[in-house]
Amino acid sequence: MVPTVSTLFTVPPMLAAVPLNAESLFGFVTNSMFVAVIVTTVILLFTRMATRRMETIPGKKQNLVEFVVEFVLTELEGILGRKIALKVFPLLATIFVFILVSNWFGLLPGVGSIGYGEQTGPLTLDASKHYTPYLRPATADLNMNLGMAAVFMIVWLYISIQEVGLGGFLKHIFGAKGGMTGLLGLLMAVIFFIVGIIEVISILFRPVSLSLRLFGNIFAGETLLHTMAELGEKMGWPDALAFVGRVVLPIPFYFMELLVGLVQAIVFTLLCAVYVQLSTAHDEEEHHH
Amino acid sequence: MDVLTKFGVNWPAFIAQVLIVLVVYTVLKKYAFGPVLAMLEQRRSRIEEGEKELVKIREQLEQADYRVKAMLDEANAKAERLIGEARESASALREQKTQEAISEAEKIVAKAKEASKLEHERLLGELKRDFGRLVVETTGKVTGKVLDEKDQSRINQEAVGQLAI
Repeated sequence: MVPTVSTLFTVPPMLAAVPLNAESLFGFVTNSMFVAVIVTTVILLFTRMATRRMETIPGKKQNLVEFVVEFVLTELEGILGRKIALKVFPLLATIFVFILVSNWFGLLPGVGSIGYGEQTGPLTLDASKHYTPYLRPATADLNMNLGMAAVFMIVWLYISIQEVGLGGFLKHIFGAKGGMTGLLGLLMAVIFFIVGIIEVISILFRPVSLSLRLFGNIFAGETLLHTMAELGEKMGWPDALAFVGRVVLPIPFYFMELLVGLVQAIVFTLLCAVYVQLSTAHDEEEHHH
Repeated sequence: MDVLTKFGVNWPAFIAQVLIVLVVYTVLKKYAFGPVLAMLEQRRSRIEEGEKELVKIREQLEQADYRVKAMLDEANAKAERLIGEARESASALREQKTQEAISEAEKIVAKAKEASKLEHERLLGELKRDFGRLVVETTGKVTGKVLDEKDQSRINQEAVGQLAI
């Protein structure tokens, strides 16, 4: 059969087969949940060591924790002002640290690549066989991201109502703006009520957008690194070259993923801060008037 | 919901992850963020206090400089005044002492003159007496006669009277 132009230039899909969902290790415990527990332990142990004996002139560990705290607090203050920033700081700083450590943890060797295979045993590295990795980046599991977003949304609702009151909160969503009266005012009230319904839908979608954005980026990074590592084999390179490719090709993407991990942690945290600002700024404006 | 299932979302995993987040949140809030924020606040206060102290010290230093300068100026003025007064006083004293010395010297000279004059007169008197006595003795020896008191007195007076000293 004579090859056509289209078959000549068609590249077969070479994406690595990283599953969309986290896989079960035992019962409902998934590999991403396992990583979340490890990450939690690492964070808690490190911060405990760093803050057990606080000194005015800080040591290296305390300095690092202080740097992170100051960075997050400064960013939050820039968006929310000091008063509200201090209220949401513990949660948003937790989210930031957890996402950052989880994202970077996913870049460690062995994460997503060592697992248990039905046919290959407990230390499988062979990508051509199906196996369940022991470790999967916690943020490459939508459950984790939705969990963080859900916790944030509950805190967001609490702080918003605490700041502007339930009436103020509902007025902020459904109330007519512009101060028009009469028939025009009535018309505007109807329009703003409909806008409010749309606003509610957009609020309901916030946790979905937050979690999917993070999941998409980290999952894509994981897939990219696996694809680069397996590229040589998929392209049918000789074994030695494929091995060199497995080592060399992912390296630039590791640096990119380091950046992506940081950027996504910042994006998630700052978007949360913006959501809080949007629901509490109205109150401040009224007070100013 | 099919989409969520495709992404592996399920209640047990979701609840477990929420619990993990809550555990991290609670522990970090209590053991990390609280102490760190307190430390940052404490450090901020100390820096603020330090800055205030620095401003205060700077002001005090300026005031001290000003005071030192004023004191130095005052001391210089006082010293100059004292030196002037001392000069004047020294000059007056010198003049007074000079006058006193001159006066004393004049007195000494006058006394010396007086003493000299008296001595001169005394010596002259003695000389006259000795001369008269010599004239009388000589006259007695020349004439060979014993001169009585009356003669002696007369010769003596004549001799002294002729002495043009």
